[in-house]
Amino acid sequence: MTGRRALYLAGVVAICAWVLVPMWLLAANALGGQPVIAAWPKPWIPLSISFATLAEFLAIEGVFRAMLIGFEVAVLCTLFSVALGLPAGYALARYSFRGANAFRLMVLLTRAFPVGILALPLTVGFIRLGLYDTPLGIALMHTALALPFAVLVSASLFQAIPRELEEAAWVFGCSPFQAAWRVVMPLALPGVSAVAIFAFVISWNEVFAASVLSARNRTLTAYLLAMLSESPLSYQFAGGLLLIVPSVLFIFLVRRHLFAMWGIASR
Amino acid sequence: MNRRSTLRLGTALLAAALAGPPLVSSALAADMIFSSGALAPVQEAQKMRTVILKDYKGKVTFLPDEPPALLTRLKAEMQGGARVTSLIGGNDGDLAVLAAGGVLAPVDDVAASLASRGFAPDLLAMGKLGTDKQMYIPWMQATYFMVANRKALPYLPAGADINALTFEQLRAWGEAAQKATGKRVVGFPAGPNGLMHRFFQGFLLPSYTGGVVTTFKSAEAEKAWTEFAALWKTVTPNSTSINFMQESLLSEDVWIGFDHVARLLNALEQKPNDFVAFPAPSGPKGRGWMPVVVGLGIMKDAPDAAGAKDLISYLTTDTTQLVTAREVGFFPTVRATLPPDLSPGLKMAVAAIQGTGQAKDSLAAMLPSGLGAKGGEFNKAFLDTFQRIVLRGEPVKDVLARQGETVQRIMTEANAPCWKPDPASTGVCQVK
Repeated sequence: MTGRRALYLAGVVAICAWVLVPMWLLAANALGGQPVIAAWPKPWIPLSISFATLAEFLAIEGVFRAMLIGFEVAVLCTLFSVALGLPAGYALARYSFRGANAFRLMVLLTRAFPVGILALPLTVGFIRLGLYDTPLGIALMHTALALPFAVLVSASLFQAIPRELEEAAWVFGCSPFQAAWRVVMPLALPGVSAVAIFAFVISWNEVFAASVLSARNRTLTAYLLAMLSESPLSYQFAGGLLLIVPSVLFIFLVRRHLFAMWGIASR
Repeated sequence: MNRRSTLRLGTALLAAALAGPPLVSSALAADMIFSSGALAPVQEAQKMRTVILKDYKGKVTFLPDEPPALLTRLKAEMQGGARVTSLIGGNDGDLAVLAAGGVLAPVDDVAASLASRGFAPDLLAMGKLGTDKQMYIPWMQATYFMVANRKALPYLPAGADINALTFEQLRAWGEAAQKATGKRVVGFPAGPNGLMHRFFQGFLLPSYTGGVVTTFKSAEAEKAWTEFAALWKTVTPNSTSINFMQESLLSEDVWIGFDHVARLLNALEQKPNDFVAFPAPSGPKGRGWMPVVVGLGIMKDAPDAAGAKDLISYLTTDTTQLVTAREVGFFPTVRATLPPDLSPGLKMAVAAIQGTGQAKDSLAAMLPSGLGAKGGEFNKAFLDTFQRIVLRGEPVKDVLARQGETVQRIMTEANAPCWKPDPASTGVCQVK
């Protein structure tokens, strides 16, 4: 019994460390100033906390605006992905129609071609449509990248919710739409939040399409972080920290739904 | 969060996001866009925005990009008929791709009006990109050299002049330091984003063979790779993850390192008393080195061509050129004298660069040109050769024969003539 418990605890510690150690290293380097960056091994307890690196990074002209645009694009992409992905997933899960399997495959195909190859014709097309250099244009592109995931995850999500519940709702007088909205959706909410998180993170982190499709209105990743790998380490750490903060915040906000998905209600 | 509040939140976010674009984009409508593949790293872009362009009277948005994204975006602007960019900055190779794609307008009038600036004639000639028109104006130049920690100086072989080092002496130096400290202290930027391929194309091979492409599989090239593999035994194994030598020099992981000046300058500036800077070593055929030229071109049918010309004029004044050298470590292309109050780190860099260019045995090797989109493949051919010979210890002659075929195929597909120091070719450059 104690052996199993020890194993269980070791597992918990390992998983926590897997997630937390890189984040801790990032934060320690971003907030520790120059001496910490060059030091190895890192001091386990931060000797001094300095916001100089971070402040310097945030003071870069246009960073704040780029963050806003990046956020706007990520939110739009999340909304589009959920709005388009859920109905598609629902249809795949509930109805058997001709070409359902082909559809599943076609959805994945959008990720089969590297953006680099499609970039030139795509950008030319966006320019002609007037979508070039707009957050909406970047968000549409990111939606295309996030959609396969949204569709397939929500399909398996709806498959896991018993059809009987919906049928019961029909018996009690709901229209199919009402049944889906009032009975299935609340049950699907945890999974929907997972879809939303992934769409948000995909958009927030995407570089190439964002920098090809925009000039004046750039997302944070395209404005600065694309070049992060060729910058001094202090900038890399500050930028890295800024890059994960919104994602972590977003996941934190919807954590309750994620926990619910795994059967651990935290309410 | 219940369903209704989720819905409300979603609606509010959608409304906010859709209302967003006009608000943000109208703020910056009357500026000129300066897209650049040079000065793309955050710190350099920041210096460009806040220091170098500070005294310019017009409103400029400096927009740096990784070259692949930049080239795609500019070609798309050209084909889509919505030109946003007016001025384009980039290194010689990127501008050559753009010129071949019909994106650049000739700038002969700008060159004529700025004749009094005294551009270095070689650089101005490079700006023609092999045509009879001036396609870009040389903006900045740089090169690569070596930096050593002073702790390594005691191990310098007897009789060696650090400013006229040979590859043989560098190896002896590294061996002596390794013997004394038990550590491999020589470093090369062979990381995934490092510039190691330039070392082979501009330094090692020209120094040993007097060429790059034509001599790729010559007996001299075999000697170059064999001796470099011997030198590698004194090189820190961390080299394959070094992208910026300055970090490794500052952390003392490397005592003797080679890199691009922009990737060394930070170390020299931060601890000028700890380091010495000196030209890269020489081989039997001379001291091979690679000048890097960054140019300015104007977009065809640019929205603000007059503004672009005016900014070119501003960027090539003596004052701006010196500010640029001080801030980002790219050196003047015009006749400008460096002021005596230069910081010690920059002074060392300038001395090393001048020492390289003015060395008696100096042998300039140009950046590969005329390769267009094949540039990356060309670099990879050199990195693969390095991997196979030096890291995996495969037989030199076989590897050079195989990789020589690859290089020849790339040259043929790109239809590229030879560039210096290979002798000029009629037609495609041939691996002999």
